[in-house]
Amino acid sequence: MTKLWHVAWHEYRRHVFTRRFVLVGLLSVPLVILVMGGLILLIFSLDTNTTPLGYVDHSGLLVDPVSAPAPEWPDYPVPTLPFETEAAARSALDAGQIQAYYILPANYLSTGQLSVVHLGEFKSSASYQFYAFLTANLLRNTDPVIANRLVKGTQIIVQSPDGSRSISSDNWFTVLIPMVAGIAFIIAMFSTGGYLMQAVVEEKENRTMEVIITSVSPNQFMAGKIIGDTAIGLSQILLWMVFIVIPILVLRNRISFLRGIQIAPQTLLLGAFVMFPAFILVSALMAAIGATVSDAREGQQMVSILSLPIWIPYMLTGLLMSNPNSPLALGLSLFPLTAPLTMLMRDGLTILPAWQIALCAAIQVLCAAGAIWLAGRAFRLGMLRYGKRLKWREVFAKA
Amino acid sequence: MTAVELSHISKSFGPVKAVDDVSFSIEKGELFGLLGPNGAGKTTSLRVMLDIFKPESGSVDLLGGPMTEAKKDRIGYMPEERGLYQDIPLDRCLAYLGSLKGLSPAEVRKRSDVYLERFDLAAFKTKKVKELSKGMQQKAQVIATLLHQPELLIVDEPFGGLDPVNTQMVKDLLLEQHQQGVTIILCSHQMHQVEELCDRIVLIDHGKVMLYGVLEDIRRQFSGHSVTVRTGDKLPALEGVERVEPGNGTLKLHLSPGTLPQQVLRSLVAQNIALEQFEISMPTLDEIFIRVVQGKGVEA
Repeated sequence: MTKLWHVAWHEYRRHVFTRRFVLVGLLSVPLVILVMGGLILLIFSLDTNTTPLGYVDHSGLLVDPVSAPAPEWPDYPVPTLPFETEAAARSALDAGQIQAYYILPANYLSTGQLSVVHLGEFKSSASYQFYAFLTANLLRNTDPVIANRLVKGTQIIVQSPDGSRSISSDNWFTVLIPMVAGIAFIIAMFSTGGYLMQAVVEEKENRTMEVIITSVSPNQFMAGKIIGDTAIGLSQILLWMVFIVIPILVLRNRISFLRGIQIAPQTLLLGAFVMFPAFILVSALMAAIGATVSDAREGQQMVSILSLPIWIPYMLTGLLMSNPNSPLALGLSLFPLTAPLTMLMRDGLTILPAWQIALCAAIQVLCAAGAIWLAGRAFRLGMLRYGKRLKWREVFAKA
Repeated sequence: MTAVELSHISKSFGPVKAVDDVSFSIEKGELFGLLGPNGAGKTTSLRVMLDIFKPESGSVDLLGGPMTEAKKDRIGYMPEERGLYQDIPLDRCLAYLGSLKGLSPAEVRKRSDVYLERFDLAAFKTKKVKELSKGMQQKAQVIATLLHQPELLIVDEPFGGLDPVNTQMVKDLLLEQHQQGVTIILCSHQMHQVEELCDRIVLIDHGKVMLYGVLEDIRRQFSGHSVTVRTGDKLPALEGVERVEPGNGTLKLHLSPGTLPQQVLRSLVAQNIALEQFEISMPTLDEIFIRVVQGKGVEA
């Protein structure tokens, strides 16, 4: 039994403590997030013009005005300047002192119509800020609670019958979190499974296999490798989560939509009982592929065939979103290779019945156990086939 | 006491019978030679012995019974197809292989330091295995095989890829292990090495046992058909001598069937030939090997 842990630790150490793993395995996702964040900031900064806005108030609503609420980061505040006459505002506009000016007619309160004058491109963020300023002044004598309700407008909250889940305009993207998590999980699963397959192929190619199997049983060796590989995947996912959660915690006070993020306990349950065995299942299948192929290139081809069914739910996103409880969705939830992504996608869209989670988890566990057995068997038969492929028929025929 | 016993082992790969009814036994503490030309079935016999392959028929008794997981820690195997993890430092590679033989990290470190020093690899222990030369990797493989101090050592072509200095080093190491009572199976087709090291041998060809027994007995079995003579005189025609083959300052007299060396000696003495050397030619293992695999067998 100790040897199994030696194999697992060796596998973990061999892949995790390498430059390649740190650069590609760990930093890839944080880097993508950083680049995306940077791009968003760049777009915001390009879309933001902090040159003041002017206004000419014929309605008397903005006499002695209150300030507009500060815009949420990453928007920059745009100052507002009052002008007595349209001519004065126009002069300031021509001089580049303001980027645009609004004209509130005397009957604004009854018509709700105003006009804006600008010369070049007028950024929408400035427009939002002027309307926020106007709204704040229109409601300044109203009860703050009512004012707040008026500003926020209609809020539709869709709630599950048991009250455990709800989605509103504040946290609509919660629907997407399980789906994004599922995609990240599958990327992690395939990248670490790829390490395992490559390790087995390498051990065949560099002839280490014969020494190893006279020291440890094929089953212990395979189980150790799968444990090591799963640990690599979990480390990768945990570190990705750290890289994602820390910025969310840091920025949630400044960005309102981040405050709406919440992970349902059911999603965590799925992670433990469906995704974890699915990880082992795919790792074992990768190991079995490594044991049967003659070289790494052939292994990659086999992996691409294996990955096809796993991505099917993603290709059927539209169908799953429109009817997450359809027979198709249920079928995909119970098929071992499509289950991980389907279950996570459905989890964001519907309340999954407990029996479906239990059945899916049971199927995943059984298939994972079967895949470990298959990997051990393929390994035993294929380990000394140097440069020659082991046919799957042989793996099953001799069972 | 028998360390290894193979009884009527047969193993086929598709239509090819790699090992056909092979039987031999090895005594505890013996340095035993397993010989045969390439593709004769030597490595398959070893793999059956180590339970890597299951035989179709026959049985293997290893260290007092069938192969078990626990026994793997008592066996050191260096396969012909050398293999070490290329992308990790040598000391880590040895630590891992040692741990799979049940050694603690401290034991591995202690023992590997001694061997690395002995094999002039101490300065390279933190280098990645792929950065070492082929000969260095070969020596590292020997260290990995010996680290756990096995009772049974199986080495398949241990001298392949080694220069004469390192060949001698490995040879000395094998003799040292032999003196310490380790049972050694030396699998090779380098006859002179086997001849120098082993007391008993088995020769396999086309999956079958062709020769098996004490090396001296086998050589004697193949001797008696020629004598080697060294003399300053010119040799006269001798009765019973079919052919004279000059060698390095010597003459090899090939005798006709039924002629005894003693008759030739008597004839030479009778003719006053000043003999500096007269000996019955013992064939080298190389010669025996060639005769056996070419199907010439023992000369009449």
